[in-house]
Amino acid sequence: MVTKGRLKMALAAEKGTDFKKLNQKKKAKEAAKKKAAKEVVEEKPTESDEEEEVEEEVEDVEDEEDEEMGNGVNLDAIDDSDTSESSIEMEKRLPRKPKKDQKTQAVEAKPNADDDEDDEEEEDEEEDDIPMSDLEDLSDAEKEDLIPHTRLTINNTSALLTSLKRIAIPSDNSVPFATHQTITSTTLASEAIPDVSDDLQRELGFYTQSLEAVRQARTKLRAEKVPFSRPKDYFAEMLKEDAHMEKIKAKLVEEASNKKAAAEARKQRDLKKFGKQVQVAKLQERQKAKRETLEKIKTLKRKRQETGGAGLGTNEADLFDVGIDNELAKYDSRSGSGRGNMGGRNGGGNQKRQKKDEKYGFGGKKRHAKSGDAVSSSDLSGFNPKAMKAKGKVGKSRPGKGRRKAMSSR
Amino acid sequence: MAAVYKSLSKKDSKKSATTDDNGIKKNKQRVLVLSSRGVTFRHRHLLNDLASMLPHGRKDAKFDSKSKLYELNSLCELFNCNNCLFFEARKGQDLYLHCSSVPNGPTIKFHVQNLHTMEELHFTGNCLKGSRPILSFDAAFDKQPHLQVIRAQFQRIFGVPQGARKSKPFIDHVMSFSVVDGKIWVRNYQINEEEASKLKPAEADADADADATKDTDLSLIEIGPRFVLTPIYISEGSFGGPLIFSNKSFVTPNQVRSDMRRLKATKHNGRSEQTRERLSKKGDLGLRSNIGHERQPDEADTKMLFA
Repeated sequence: MVTKGRLKMALAAEKGTDFKKLNQKKKAKEAAKKKAAKEVVEEKPTESDEEEEVEEEVEDVEDEEDEEMGNGVNLDAIDDSDTSESSIEMEKRLPRKPKKDQKTQAVEAKPNADDDEDDEEEEDEEEDDIPMSDLEDLSDAEKEDLIPHTRLTINNTSALLTSLKRIAIPSDNSVPFATHQTITSTTLASEAIPDVSDDLQRELGFYTQSLEAVRQARTKLRAEKVPFSRPKDYFAEMLKEDAHMEKIKAKLVEEASNKKAAAEARKQRDLKKFGKQVQVAKLQERQKAKRETLEKIKTLKRKRQETGGAGLGTNEADLFDVGIDNELAKYDSRSGSGRGNMGGRNGGGNQKRQKKDEKYGFGGKKRHAKSGDAVSSSDLSGFNPKAMKAKGKVGKSRPGKGRRKAMSSR
Repeated sequence: MAAVYKSLSKKDSKKSATTDDNGIKKNKQRVLVLSSRGVTFRHRHLLNDLASMLPHGRKDAKFDSKSKLYELNSLCELFNCNNCLFFEARKGQDLYLHCSSVPNGPTIKFHVQNLHTMEELHFTGNCLKGSRPILSFDAAFDKQPHLQVIRAQFQRIFGVPQGARKSKPFIDHVMSFSVVDGKIWVRNYQINEEEASKLKPAEADADADADATKDTDLSLIEIGPRFVLTPIYISEGSFGGPLIFSNKSFVTPNQVRSDMRRLKATKHNGRSEQTRERLSKKGDLGLRSNIGHERQPDEADTKMLFA
């Protein structure tokens, strides 16, 4: 195949320079290292010395560059015969493109010897900084005088601009907007977002930036008559397929229902809390009412006892002839005739004793208390002959025999 | 061989195809999207999300090596791609992103943080697969040269070229890149157009165009994914070459982790130091029974005297 041949040729062509360059590079590296070490030991080397060395190196570089250019032309010639079928125009490889072996080393940010003029700047910058790894064999006293840089500062503006020129897609006014569709906003996002950790504000900043961009883009695209909005009847494969959207929908529904349920539960909880309060209040009220009525009754009772003990009580006793009974009992010769009113003792002032005696009894025979004896049988106080008679006769006497006969014959 | 002949015969016509009528060079980009071995599922999902947004992209199998990245150049050439988006996972947790323009560079290496894939974000936005996005850049991208390079690279990679093979004719999403806190925040929104409310006829009158009559309210709905990129370095070549920019303020995740561990260790060290001090002080005061160390027998000891 053609390509294989090309590859072989290219490899052969490249190999020639490779060894030379490797040697060169090694030398340059060693020189740089030596210099670095020297610098540290001497602490402040004279300016002229350093400059001389730099110049030497630059010369080396340029020499080598010339060789490379020679080879580069060769490569170009090979590239022209390229016949690969491609829709993408691959850029032509630049002749000074670093070779495979160096690529890995180049990443380590060591001073490189194989660069154009604009890398001189960078080299100068790097001359000021020495990697910490080179200084490990220094004594502590010397180390103290050093100002450590944590990281090599590299910001090679000119090289950045050249590579920018190489890859930039034209996006100024000379080309139609539709070719690039890029909008750079006029406001700094970092100004719009003072605090990055504030999620809401940050996202709002991004949102406003893109919304502004969309507004501008739409006017520009419409001016160029480029279709912008999708018609309703245009269906095509979407970025998120239906299953994914279904999932999102389910998630949304679930979230909404969860929210609703949570709200409901909270409401219920509040109600419950409130209901409990109501219940407790009601119970308390009921108890209060009960206590009040009880109190009322008590006071009433007390009042009655205090006031009616003299007035009402005697009246009642009069009504029921209690006084007579008392009199009778007083003169009763028998001591155990009645429990409660023991003979001779009940006149005492100790009311409590009296009550207790009344309740439990005191002294005397307890047996035959209810049996009759001579006194009780002779006692006719409960006998009222009038009451015996009065009950039957109610005024309507039975007529005599003649009358009754006369009435029946009629 | 037929292919070779075809291309040879077509050589002249191809030259004219790349240029437009106006003599403007046509923007043709192809992106190879691939990852290294050892990516986690989230990294893989992010890659899939991005790849699905790039109709001019080509997804490839995981790349085996982490040291010989220059091999990616030949891989890109093989797949006829002039850009490469390479996700490199380290330690099964840190994700780095290499954006490269293939034959001649530059290569930008980013550290990817805060990544949330489309699937886990549950955003309701959606857009046509392969529609061309509007790329919205922050004003900061105009200010510094390294950010300009980054913008140019993003334009090549994330901007779908006009007339790309699987691209759709309408524009319904916007990708935004903002520089905040020294990092690049990437968001992706759907452009949602709604009928303009009838309360704003004055605005419609202002635009005399016929299009203005059917002007609609614009709003955005996020689609996802979300991620934050911290630029680490820019090298001049593609996957190699001298560094032309390196971010001084970038702290490697390893460093962060080790610092955290050290912080924890210092806490423990301080505490253990304190206990040791306390014990020795107690020992000096004779408040400890000699568990730790035996007392040295000295000459005036009773045992020595009366042995």
